[in-house]
Amino acid sequence: MTCSHSYNIKQSALDSITPSALHKVSNSFSSITLNIFWDLTNLMKFELQSVIVSALKKLSETEVVAVSSESDGIFPSDSGVYAVYDGSGDLQFVGITRNLAASIITHKKSVPELCSSVKVGVVEDPDKTALTEAWKSWMQDHIAVTGKVPPGNEPGNSTWVKKAPKKKSDLKLTPGRHVQLTVPLEDLIDRLVKENKVVAFIKGSRSAPLCGFSQRVVSILESQGVDYESVDVLDDECNTGLRETLKKYSNWPTFPQIFVNGELVGGCDILSSMYEKGELADLFKQ
Amino acid sequence: MASRTLISRAGRMKTKLETALQAAALEIEDVSHQHAGHAAVREMEGGANETHFNVRIVSDKFEGQTLVKRHRMVYDLLSDELDSGLHALSITAKTPKEAGIN
Repeated sequence: MTCSHSYNIKQSALDSITPSALHKVSNSFSSITLNIFWDLTNLMKFELQSVIVSALKKLSETEVVAVSSESDGIFPSDSGVYAVYDGSGDLQFVGITRNLAASIITHKKSVPELCSSVKVGVVEDPDKTALTEAWKSWMQDHIAVTGKVPPGNEPGNSTWVKKAPKKKSDLKLTPGRHVQLTVPLEDLIDRLVKENKVVAFIKGSRSAPLCGFSQRVVSILESQGVDYESVDVLDDECNTGLRETLKKYSNWPTFPQIFVNGELVGGCDILSSMYEKGELADLFKQ
Repeated sequence: MASRTLISRAGRMKTKLETALQAAALEIEDVSHQHAGHAAVREMEGGANETHFNVRIVSDKFEGQTLVKRHRMVYDLLSDELDSGLHALSITAKTPKEAGIN
C-alpha cells in the first residue's frame, strides 16, 4: 500500500540531491533498470544546482503516451527517464532505465492498474550521472507543481522495484505456540491454499530450505518468477501440528507439497517433472 | 525407528508394489545415506537407515491417471512403511507406453 504524505520542500534544509538508493534491477530484456527512491532527508540543493540535462524536455512539456498491451515497439529501447501515470492521470512513479521500452512493459505487466500512460525522455548520454540528473529534473518539475513526491518514489515503496528473490518471508499460521487457535488447523490450511495462488509447504524457510527437495522446489518456483507463499512445516513454534494435519488434509504423506489454486500439484518430483516438460507456465497462468 | 526385520524395507516395498500394481518394471534404490545429515533423519533412532528411497515403477494401472494420483497410489500401498520410519520417496511413475516398453 502506498501512503501519500505531503512534504514541504521549502522547510527541508537539505544539502544533497543524491538519491538514497540506486537499485539495479535486471529485467528479462537484460537491460538494467535503475529505480531511485527519493530520500527526503537528503533532498534539495535543487534550486542551486543547474540542470545538466539540456536536451531533455521538462516533465510538463513532455507528451503523455497511453500504455496498452499492444504498446510493443512504440517506446524506444534507449536509456532515459520515464514517468508513469495511473488511470486518473496522477503521477505514480518516476524512474530511469537503460531500456525504456523494456521497463515500461515490465511495469505494465506487474502493476497494470497503476500504469495507464507514460512520459518518456531519452537521455543521449546514458551514463549514470546523466540519467540521475534527468530523473532529478523531472522529480523537481513534479514537486514544484504538487509539493509531493510521487507515491512510487517514497522511501520504502517497493511497487516499482522488482522484488528481490527470496526476499519475501515465510507465512506463519499463528504468531506462536501460546496463541490458542479459534478455528481448526485444517480450516486454516484450507483458507491458506485457497486464498493464495501458489503455496509451497517446505522444510525450512524459503531463504534457507533444510531439505534438498524443498530447496529444489524453491529454486524452481523462483526460476518461474511466480509470486508464491511458503510455509515452513518444521516451524513447530508458529505452525504447531502442521505436518500431521497437512498430511491428512492433502492425503499426501511427504513434504514438500505445492498447491496451486487450492489444489495439490504434488511434491518435488511432480513439480520437477512439470518444470522439465515446460508445463509450469500454463499451470501458473490458470 | 530403524527396521530390524529380516526382510529389508526395500524388499517389502518391492513386494507390495509389484503385487498391487503388477509392475512391468520396478526399481527401488535405497538412498538413505544421501540424507544422513538431514535434520529430520538425525533425530531418528538408528540414524539414516532405510528412510529415503528412489522408486521407478512402470505399470499400466497408471494409464489415464494424473501424476498426483499415481504418486498417491504408490504412497497408499506403502502407508505402513511411511508410518514406521520411511521418510521420503522420490517417485517416477510411468505407464508402459510412456516408458517405451510393451
